[in-house]
Amino acid sequence: MKVVTGVVGNDIHVVANRLIDLSLRARGYDVYNLGVNTHLQEFFDAVVETGAEVLMISSLNGEAEGWGREVRLLKSKYKSLDDVIMMIGGNLTVGSGNAEDIVARYKNYGFDIVCHQMDLNTGLDMLQDLLEARGLVSEEAIA
Amino acid sequence: MSEANEKLLIDVGSTYFKVASPEGLEQHFRDFNSDIFDDLMNKCGDTVQRFDKNDVHICSSANGGLSTLIIGVTRSFSLKYATNIAFNSGINIIDTVLYQDLEDYSVPGELIDVVIIVGGANSHKGLFSDDLFAYLKQLTYSNIVFTGCEHDAEYMNSNIDNLVVLPNIIDDRLHIVEEHLKEYLTNLYQQDIEGKEDIKHLYDITGNQIFSTPYIVNRALPTIESRFSVANPFILLDIGGATTDIHYSKDLVEENIVTENEFDRLVFKRLGVYKSKQSLILAAQGNEFVYELLMHLKVTENIFQEQSDKATKILMQLAIFLVLYKMSHHRQSYINLKLLTINSIVLTGGITKVLTVEDIETIIVFFYRKILTSDHKPTVVLDDNYDIWTLGARV
Repeated sequence: MKVVTGVVGNDIHVVANRLIDLSLRARGYDVYNLGVNTHLQEFFDAVVETGAEVLMISSLNGEAEGWGREVRLLKSKYKSLDDVIMMIGGNLTVGSGNAEDIVARYKNYGFDIVCHQMDLNTGLDMLQDLLEARGLVSEEAIA
Repeated sequence: MSEANEKLLIDVGSTYFKVASPEGLEQHFRDFNSDIFDDLMNKCGDTVQRFDKNDVHICSSANGGLSTLIIGVTRSFSLKYATNIAFNSGINIIDTVLYQDLEDYSVPGELIDVVIIVGGANSHKGLFSDDLFAYLKQLTYSNIVFTGCEHDAEYMNSNIDNLVVLPNIIDDRLHIVEEHLKEYLTNLYQQDIEGKEDIKHLYDITGNQIFSTPYIVNRALPTIESRFSVANPFILLDIGGATTDIHYSKDLVEENIVTENEFDRLVFKRLGVYKSKQSLILAAQGNEFVYELLMHLKVTENIFQEQSDKATKILMQLAIFLVLYKMSHHRQSYINLKLLTINSIVLTGGITKVLTVEDIETIIVFFYRKILTSDHKPTVVLDDNYDIWTLGARV
């Protein structure tokens, strides 16, 4: 199972990015880590180049709010991304906000899984659940 | 006399050939009714025959460079990487095609020297299908190379005749791997030169490999300060009869993912003052600032129809303007140089025999004021004795 990950926009939170990378590998995923300061188009292009089943975007400084609005428009320009699981996590707003509202907003942007200020492992469990629900993995194995 | 001075250096251009021996430098206008070899021996036979074959070194820009069409699956990776490698190999890119939008592209009518197909990390497969093969059937090309994901190589090979398969230019971390495609393109350029009937005969007088002139000039740049007062960063323009080459320090580029050389080069295939004169005029007529430039030079558009020394001089000045314009941020292109940080502009090639430093400075001042709205004025350095070429040939 291939995952493209990275930190979106002008965001240099490299430690979080590294932790996500390590955690995904520990769970058996093949990880393509684009690192920090990644533009939305690069995420989608990396999915095309790798054939990844999952796109996992992280954001720590709230930049995702601006970039998230572009997701549906940009994704519509690609012809092979319909089945890709779109996941976003981190601190998804500037200042404080109601988690339920934030999750609903990002789902409206086109994300399947939204993890706002959530423990990393809990988020990865949610991914596992969705993959199983879609019949993409068994409970035992990812890779 | 040092060993280096005992070499005979010959540069075959599209318009002139130059012969540098320990006695000095000769330049001759080519006789286009005659084979290059015969023409050379007719004019410089005595000089050539004084040298052993192994002491004769020849380079040529008479082939005009190669053209390529690149087909890739994304703009951020496959097309970006292949484009960068092609440019840095001195190849002219006709177009880049995003595979998913293949049907939206028109089919180039001209003969393409090499088609490059690229896409996918090696963990992926099945990126290309029949629509690509149908598109390729409409093209006219001499060479075709696949340098994408390894799992697709066999499938591609079975569907495309004479396909050359190279290792992927994208590695497992989605980083660029340049050496294989770069080597292939460089060799192709070399073969193109050697394959020219005219050039083949030149092996009768040399025991050494015949290189492309841009390669030789590029090789001289790290040591250029030994001959000229050049302040870094600088660009070098080699404006010839058929093509214009621009060599630049990598410090002048915002983003360059190929890191092997200190200096890169671009070859503008149809920008020259003799063989490519008509396409130069066409490019000039399509440029919104050229009429102001002609006014600045106190001539009118009628100069394009004239056959005179003055017309040639104006064309050369236009070529300088156009090449700077093509590399400026005013025109979005593959590479935009940070022209405001340039301290020197070095000019070599046939242009140095016609224009004075003042003729060139007036164009450069016009360019910076009009296009970059700046009073910046890089120093003009004129290589009017082809020292850069002889320096590169002797390295």
